[in-house]
Amino acid sequence: MKKIVQFSLLMIVASCLACAANGGLTKPASYGFQVDIPKGWRQIDNNRYLLVTRENPFQQYILVQSRPIGKSFRHTKKTMRKTMLPEEAAQIIIDELISDRNLVNLKLLNNAPESIKGFAGFKILYTYQDAEGHSFKTLYYGFIKEDTFFNLRFTASDRFHFQRDIEAFRYMLNSFEVIKAKAT
Amino acid sequence: MNIQASKLCLYFLALLLLASATACSSPSKPKISLVPDALLTSEDEQMLWQKSEQEQRALESNGLIYADPQLEDYLNQVVAKLTPADLPPDLVIRVKVIKNPYLNAFAYPNGMIYIHSGLLAQMENEAQLAAVLAHEMTHCIRRHALRAFRKYKNQPAVFIAIQQTLLKTRGLRKLAHSIGVTGAMVAISGYTRELEAEADRVGFEWVLQAGYNPKEALALFDQMLADIAQDGHEEPFFFGSHPKIRQRAANLQNLPMPAMIKRPVSNNHRKHFLAKLDQLFLDNAQLDIRLGRFQAAKKSIEKFTTIKPDDTRAYFLLGEIYRQRGQQSDAHTALGYYSRAITLDPSFAAPHKAIGLIHYKKGQHALAKKFFESCLQLSPDSPDKAYIEGYLKQCTLSKESS
Repeated sequence: MKKIVQFSLLMIVASCLACAANGGLTKPASYGFQVDIPKGWRQIDNNRYLLVTRENPFQQYILVQSRPIGKSFRHTKKTMRKTMLPEEAAQIIIDELISDRNLVNLKLLNNAPESIKGFAGFKILYTYQDAEGHSFKTLYYGFIKEDTFFNLRFTASDRFHFQRDIEAFRYMLNSFEVIKAKAT
Repeated sequence: MNIQASKLCLYFLALLLLASATACSSPSKPKISLVPDALLTSEDEQMLWQKSEQEQRALESNGLIYADPQLEDYLNQVVAKLTPADLPPDLVIRVKVIKNPYLNAFAYPNGMIYIHSGLLAQMENEAQLAAVLAHEMTHCIRRHALRAFRKYKNQPAVFIAIQQTLLKTRGLRKLAHSIGVTGAMVAISGYTRELEAEADRVGFEWVLQAGYNPKEALALFDQMLADIAQDGHEEPFFFGSHPKIRQRAANLQNLPMPAMIKRPVSNNHRKHFLAKLDQLFLDNAQLDIRLGRFQAAKKSIEKFTTIKPDDTRAYFLLGEIYRQRGQQSDAHTALGYYSRAITLDPSFAAPHKAIGLIHYKKGQHALAKKFFESCLQLSPDSPDKAYIEGYLKQCTLSKESS
């Protein structure tokens, strides 16, 4: 009986990995964007945002999200507004990060304007440690289009994974397209 | 078992696990004799102290402490006024401030009290501060952590429920990493109702003996309840929880108030208190602005301006509240505050940029350009230089096209 259970579990895991390690274009209707997932990266099922990883999310992940501008954040009560400048939107993201007590020793390395597929946006780069003391580095792009705040971020656990996988993030960033400016 | 009891038990579980690992190598024994019952100095108390010290070291190395030695001196002076004469010399009560806009204060068993900048910024006078400190001091001096530990440690049946609660309480796990298990438990749940009531009763006596008006604590609790209601959300902390503050207020209301305490706190005492905290009001206001708690930030700044009416940073922050809030006519109000800040200190670059932003968003590019340029002149290496240069470029393009 035990062997049957073990075999069944193995089969389930193997089939999940096989279908998840897909790469290719993803265009879920509810996201409001389409993006090409690099070969060898797999999508982690999530109905709130697109999350892909090469090995596992603790080593590296790319998150692409569209969210309604009025939607509240976890820590700051501030919300995005349609009329906000990219710098103002970036400030809200920074305020949210700084107010998050789970991000220890947060260091903002860069905050600058950035054009993302023709949309005026921002780019921020920061490092932090999680509650367990593990270090992470994140590159975060964001822009507001009509009623939606689009953001793409790449987080890696250390310098090796960041440098190795940044090209995959750039590939996704370049393939990113807004297909409708309506967030879920 | 309710969730609070489960959290408290989690704390004891953690301590029990740690006890076996730490008891063998414990340092000097705490020698406290001021106890209401027959608790004796023992291994479990050593373990509590040792664990507390570890957590404090972690907390203080995480950059969470608000570094202001003069403020710390002042807080410790208030503690000295409240300290009962028969306090054993081995137990030293000390206070430090944590940079955190949420309402909280908590005490470790070894006499270390941490108070959040957010709770200090809520206070109006020294009597309110004394009431909070006296309450926390009682937890240390009456050894509430040890008493609670001994009460629960022989109830292993609760552990399954603890694990279930832990799985559901993500915030607690994360918080426990930054302020430690001991700190997290007392910061979030507080002690049992009986021990909290004892802390209120004993603290009340010490506040009275030190010559403060203990009724001021009620005024503080009323203000906190009003702010929680206005703010629309409760905080995960003991002092930020509506029912717990109500219980604290009820405890105090049930105590007999001598006639002498009916006199109000003098303005001089209030001014002295505000002057001691001055920069904290602005620093905490900045944290509140980040959280979008604009009303709380404004109140803190207004306290500051009663003692320092001509501070450029205060007016800049008031401007930030209105610019970031972005309601109708807020831009106009913000402009007034930024202009005042520039009048007080023309070399302060930040309000120049903020005025530039307001004009830029209104499409008043010539005016915007003037302020962006003055900002860059005053602060050529500003971290937001790339944004400002982008705005200037747009202003120039718009001028050319018109």
